[in-house]
Amino acid sequence: MSKKQDQTASFMVRFNQNIFEEDGESKVQWRGKISHVQEGDEQNFTDFNDALVFMQQKLANLTKEATKHKTTEQQEGILQKSLYMWKTMKEVGPKVLMETIKDPKKQLSQFQDQIQEQISSIGGEISEKVQIDEWRNASRSDYKKVKKSIAELSQQIELLSEKIDNIGKKK
Amino acid sequence: MSTPTQQLKELTSFKEDAPIRIQTLGQFTIWRSGEKIDPKEWGRDKTIQLLQYLVSNRGRNALHKEKIMDNLWEEGDDRDFKVALHGIHKVLEPERPARTEPTYVVRQGVSYQLNLDKIWIDIDILEKYIILGNQSFGIDNISAKEAYKNAIDIYQGTYLPNRIYEDWSSEEREKAQLLILSAYISLAEILLEENPLESIRLTQNALSIDATWEDAYRLQMRGYLAKGNRPQAIRTFQKCEQVLAEEYSVAPLPETKNLMKEIKEIN
Repeated sequence: MSKKQDQTASFMVRFNQNIFEEDGESKVQWRGKISHVQEGDEQNFTDFNDALVFMQQKLANLTKEATKHKTTEQQEGILQKSLYMWKTMKEVGPKVLMETIKDPKKQLSQFQDQIQEQISSIGGEISEKVQIDEWRNASRSDYKKVKKSIAELSQQIELLSEKIDNIGKKK
Repeated sequence: MSTPTQQLKELTSFKEDAPIRIQTLGQFTIWRSGEKIDPKEWGRDKTIQLLQYLVSNRGRNALHKEKIMDNLWEEGDDRDFKVALHGIHKVLEPERPARTEPTYVVRQGVSYQLNLDKIWIDIDILEKYIILGNQSFGIDNISAKEAYKNAIDIYQGTYLPNRIYEDWSSEEREKAQLLILSAYISLAEILLEENPLESIRLTQNALSIDATWEDAYRLQMRGYLAKGNRPQAIRTFQKCEQVLAEEYSVAPLPETKNLMKEIKEIN
């Protein structure tokens, strides 16, 4: 069995907000930095999609490492399933970030529904394990909520990998 | 409520009086009654890790044993936890009589926490100095200056540098970095007129932590301007422009560009 440590990826995301006046109108610019704790590398971004791609790459590496003993075909299948969830996150993430600032509770709830719907289409059992409701309890700041959401998702990737691992073994 | 001066005194005397002192910034060192503890006394690394975990989570309520074990052990059992906890008690209180309650790691049922009234922890005190500095900033700049200086003296580097790959330490590391960046910038701003050279040095320190911190570039430009070094102020802007383009593909903020415009217009 793989060690829990080898199956975990943690990310620290920092957002720096800049509000300014330019050409007679108010503008806001977000500058962010995402760090992958276990490897120590980091990346700056202004588009949250770049942060998601960064996470996706790290998680794909994790899945590849955990499935290196499998056939190429099996490995590709697992990777595809793993990336499917990230496709959802990538599509929904930036929109949620913007809307969360306007109305955190309402938008997180909407985000939950969208993610839940996508996860349900992968498999009912996995969907039961996703405790997205807990996201509602975050209260310190919007950043905190986003960070927690990411941690939850990475946990689900882990579960998904294990699940698919087990299916592979049964076959 | 005590004045900022009294609070500064209290924080200084706490460092001298606390029976246990813990340094987490730059390196991990502990002093017991003023004497540095030999790292050999710790025995197992897990004992140190457990103490570092308690330090990292000191702001929360007492930590449940299960949660601690889940974060620190792959497949640890109660015995592993007890051994590590006993190791901490032994190092911090080697002469504690048998069957008496430990002083520094306090137990509440199956939860544990550090007794912060008796332990001086650098990151904790650094934050207190910065809070004090922020409260005094603009009202009592002498106290604010003193508070920020003390915070900067405490900062010896990254939080628990030998645990940078452990996710339980990340939150505190990030917090420490943001705290010290704010202290550098605030003190640099206070010192801008009375000591521009020191102000410049502080902004350089901030930029060595985060090269994209635009406030630091602006203050540095103003520092060079105050020293009459216009060419260096312009070079600072160019550096800012280059770093932001490389890291974010963005231009400096209008505030920075306006400052540059002002500098260029000076004859």
